[in-house]
Amino acid sequence: MTQEIKSNYSASDQMVVSAARQIRDNDVVYAGVGLPMQAALLAKNHNAPNCTIVIENGIVRSNLFPIPVATDTLGSQAFADQLSGLFHVMCLGQAGHINTGFLGAGQIDRFGNLNDTCVGDYRKPIHRWPGSGGGDDIMSSCARTIVILEQDRRRFLEKVDFVTCPGYFDGQPGRREEIGLVPNTGPTAVITNLGIYEFENREMVLKSVHSGIGVTLEKVKAETGWDLKVSLDLKATEPPTEEELRIFREKIEKVRAARARLKGEMAPPGQ
Amino acid sequence: MKEAVSKYVKSGDLLFISGAQHGAPAAAIAEIIRQKIGHLAVITCLTNTNYLIGEGLVDRLITGYSLLNESRSYGLQKARAANKFPAIEESSHFAIALMLYAGYIGVPFMPTRSLLGSDMAKYNAENIKAIECPFTHTRVGLVRAVVPDIGILHVQRADKDGNAQKWGTLGVDLEGINASKKVIVTAEEIVDSDVIRRDPNRTLISSFRVNAVVEQPFGSYPGHLAGCYNDGPGALMPVLRQADYETNVRESIYGVNDWDEYLENLKKKNGADFLDKLRLKDPVYSEPVASGYETLGGSEK
Repeated sequence: MTQEIKSNYSASDQMVVSAARQIRDNDVVYAGVGLPMQAALLAKNHNAPNCTIVIENGIVRSNLFPIPVATDTLGSQAFADQLSGLFHVMCLGQAGHINTGFLGAGQIDRFGNLNDTCVGDYRKPIHRWPGSGGGDDIMSSCARTIVILEQDRRRFLEKVDFVTCPGYFDGQPGRREEIGLVPNTGPTAVITNLGIYEFENREMVLKSVHSGIGVTLEKVKAETGWDLKVSLDLKATEPPTEEELRIFREKIEKVRAARARLKGEMAPPGQ
Repeated sequence: MKEAVSKYVKSGDLLFISGAQHGAPAAAIAEIIRQKIGHLAVITCLTNTNYLIGEGLVDRLITGYSLLNESRSYGLQKARAANKFPAIEESSHFAIALMLYAGYIGVPFMPTRSLLGSDMAKYNAENIKAIECPFTHTRVGLVRAVVPDIGILHVQRADKDGNAQKWGTLGVDLEGINASKKVIVTAEEIVDSDVIRRDPNRTLISSFRVNAVVEQPFGSYPGHLAGCYNDGPGALMPVLRQADYETNVRESIYGVNDWDEYLENLKKKNGADFLDKLRLKDPVYSEPVASGYETLGGSEK
């Protein structure tokens, strides 16, 4: 990314803010740890105060909570609306009660197929990620799945090495339904450190580039491993507002930094 | 603990480990490693299996999500070098829950809308299939039931008969422990049966299904347990360096007789209040509910 333009926010600020804007008031959101959780909490603190946040281990919350360092912590459990189990949460999803999923990914292709499993051949991988977790389940059941990941040519591939979470397969109409997936599900947006994508006819289309931090269309194309479709009304991504940045930094980043410091002070002795 | 593990965990068993990121039975797992009970198949969700694998005890791992990056885990490297790397049967979180749920309710498989079209279904075809639904005539996924030979559950409290109560998030605890043929319960505290019976909704598994119950304070250290203690240092960190791995294994497993000795050593090393500091000092209590009536008391009343 070029750094000629000086801005008071970073690419990851833009990713979190753009992701939070995808959350509508009253959405029921499945959020994993990391950027998805930051986005969900920013939305809850700002543009979608009535959203419900669902966390994989069985946590359902309609209230605010401090950003957790992992999905399950005493803090993410405490004062929840409901504590149950992973089975319950995934049943909610499968039955269609979680409308919005947020996922990270190791690799993505033009039809939104995600790889969270391995680089190279599955039997002889060059690199291993932990695997699906709830990723496949969420993408199989939510009306909208929003994918957040860093973009480069190793991650944005013509074809992913392993399909952990199917998107629109080869892009032909009806493929998800043919294989038995729930109709009207699948990826709806992709947010990266360079731009924002939506799906048109099941293919990723670049809708905006983060020009506020110096990203250009050429840069986006250079970090995409296929002949990228670009929206006819390509826009500059709306930068974070002062208020979004303030809330993000005060309510989320500060807590996160304090926790990281606390962890550091508790220097690992035996364990 | 020693007797419970040696009596009920056998070489070649399919083992269910409870406590998905919350209250894993760390002390019991350490005892399995200490007794070198091997050739295990393990089904679990979000627990740390790196030491079991690293010590060469796992032949097969049924997982939806695990640290499998060998460059980040000395335990995995050690297993690979010893030719003891487990066969991986990979699916998703929901699939693991459904496999255990099928075992729990006594049916051979569960249908699901997950996994369809994924490469997990391709590479784990023995356990993941798809059929035409006989009712709707649409395609539906299936996962095979898992009935563990032995399940281990760590809880906040149990009575001496094994009625076990856990609260906070339950991961796949309810499904997994109730699917298991034999059950070991480890508990922070053994309480009077009356404590259990005044709050019976909290019981995850009842005594007639439990083979052994063991009192084990800090049985999930360094993980957290709701109402009891917070994460210890390094709870979330993978062990990368051989020296750290071997130190951990020595200090918590081979170099001590049992978990209590390990805990005592932690206090000697890090200060007498080391463990006590993990107990948060401002607990909030739930409102009591009326759960019984004196005039309708059981036989003891």
